[in-house]
Amino acid sequence: MFKRILVANRGEIALRIIRACRDMGIEAIAVYSRADRDAAYLKLAHDAFCIGPESPQLSYLHAPAIISAAELADVQAIHPGYGFLSENPTFAQMCRDCRIEFIGPSVESMRLLGNKVEARRLARTVKVPILPGSLEPVADEDEAVAVAERIGFPVMIKAAAGGGGRGMRPAHNEATLRSCFRNARAEAEAAFKDGSLYIEKLIERPRHVEVQILGDKKGNLVHLWERDCSIQRRHQKLVEESPSPHISPRTRRKICAAALRLARAARYYSAGTFEFLVDQDENFYFMEVNTRIQVEHPVTELVTGIDLVRWQLRIAAGETLTLAQDEIPQRGAAIECRINAESPDEDFRPCPGRIDEFIPPGGPGVRLDTHVYAGYVVSPHYDSLLAKLLVHRSTRAEAITAMRRALEEFRIGPIQTTIPLQLSIIEHADFKKGNVDTGFIEREINTGTRKT
Amino acid sequence: MDLKTIKSLVQLMVENDLSRLELREGDTHILLRRGHPPVMLPTATTAAGPAAGGALPSAPSPTAAASETSAQAAAPAKEHQIRSPMVGTFRAAPDPESPPLVKVGDEVRPDTVVCLIEAMKVLNEIKAETTGRITKVFVKNAEAVEFDQPLFAVELI
Repeated sequence: MFKRILVANRGEIALRIIRACRDMGIEAIAVYSRADRDAAYLKLAHDAFCIGPESPQLSYLHAPAIISAAELADVQAIHPGYGFLSENPTFAQMCRDCRIEFIGPSVESMRLLGNKVEARRLARTVKVPILPGSLEPVADEDEAVAVAERIGFPVMIKAAAGGGGRGMRPAHNEATLRSCFRNARAEAEAAFKDGSLYIEKLIERPRHVEVQILGDKKGNLVHLWERDCSIQRRHQKLVEESPSPHISPRTRRKICAAALRLARAARYYSAGTFEFLVDQDENFYFMEVNTRIQVEHPVTELVTGIDLVRWQLRIAAGETLTLAQDEIPQRGAAIECRINAESPDEDFRPCPGRIDEFIPPGGPGVRLDTHVYAGYVVSPHYDSLLAKLLVHRSTRAEAITAMRRALEEFRIGPIQTTIPLQLSIIEHADFKKGNVDTGFIEREINTGTRKT
Repeated sequence: MDLKTIKSLVQLMVENDLSRLELREGDTHILLRRGHPPVMLPTATTAAGPAAGGALPSAPSPTAAASETSAQAAAPAKEHQIRSPMVGTFRAAPDPESPPLVKVGDEVRPDTVVCLIEAMKVLNEIKAETTGRITKVFVKNAEAVEFDQPLFAVELI
């Protein structure tokens, strides 16, 4: 097992990794930007290095600074968390070149699965369903129109190098497709340095269902069931849960088996999440792979009882996965709310500032992953995630009740947070019935209806 | 160049959606970068000179975050600290046999190389960026230094 690792991230996920290290007797080396120098979680690390100024590209995204700190601290491995450099194959290769273990999958599978066109092609070879569309990037707008006419409108224009909801534009007819195409290309070029676009069928009212995978370096792979992340706003998840309500056990088995097939074909190891869209008839289609630990990983940890970050460390250190597929439970129901420093009533304007009041919820079935406390200053430079509030109960109905209790107890001030929004979501009749899709927030919140 | 001017340049960039703005005025040279450039990684190992993308440009070059410029302007008028622009190992001289590049009492100019910082097998020259006299050396040879760590105190002249 590693003696010392570097945590190349910040906030709640840095704390999560530091906690796993403390549980395992591994020395955790933290890095921080000037903006994070007073963060309390840094004191829980064995040592901490300031690596740059406030701006992410000069600090948490600045690979030379991170590798330099890793060398100074003489660590054996780096855990990249999520976001930042976690899905950057160049960074993973740099770690490898400097003989530092990158805690994640191989560079090759990261490159393969990180390219959406390549991933879709691989999916097809192992009979994992993909959305009808162009397997290859389209050369120009005429080809895009030809594909769209073949598969039928509406379609989605997507950047091959995109992800996380970025670089996507819907088109409901030829005129829109033509006018969007050029802009989409320029946007992709600017954001991802790769202007390749492909065309995919647009599913109406889809559910977002993703499968958690864990694999070791010897080829052993298991799935840890699915999470439903349909409650999104502008492709940012707000509420996640497991099991996915309203998919049949048969569909569940098929989706998890499909994810496993694709992971095996990509020779995947470490933790990864395979995302699917499920339509109203329970047909499912592979979308993309997140080759890293995810924000919502605790949802899976609660229903399975398995510590994912701990397994990432063990796998990276060369240990064998000792989990047998038929022994991985999906017990009860877990729900997570991402509490963000945003004002839902003001178009989710970010609300940085000092937190003076912080009274966390607790009690049976409540888990809170947060780096925040009274006195913490939320800076404007990074994402607005304050805390992940989770509940785990025997049934979904009880989980919803517990989440309502927890959200009502949770006091954060004076800044605005998404707590009131998440309360309306879980009290919504459709949510209670499990009738949600990725358009739920835009539809229900914008119209201002509050059904209970 | 004062903070007010820098702030208006930043505003100019934001309003016109510029990603890069460079201005030379007499002895002043300012470079402002905005947006999300890709991760810049060293493309070659060189014995000296700033690593490509590894060190901040040697001219004072605040990014779009105005708070950085105010931090740099906050040092007291007469005394100034030369702080590390990167993470690495402090080297007082280019090699162990040579004497330190600067010592207490030495005068420095903006282009004076006061030390080197080694990171990822590359030696980066650190310039004084100011005119003055070294009054204190805060770090020892071969010591690990982090970003923003004070290296030298300089009395401005």
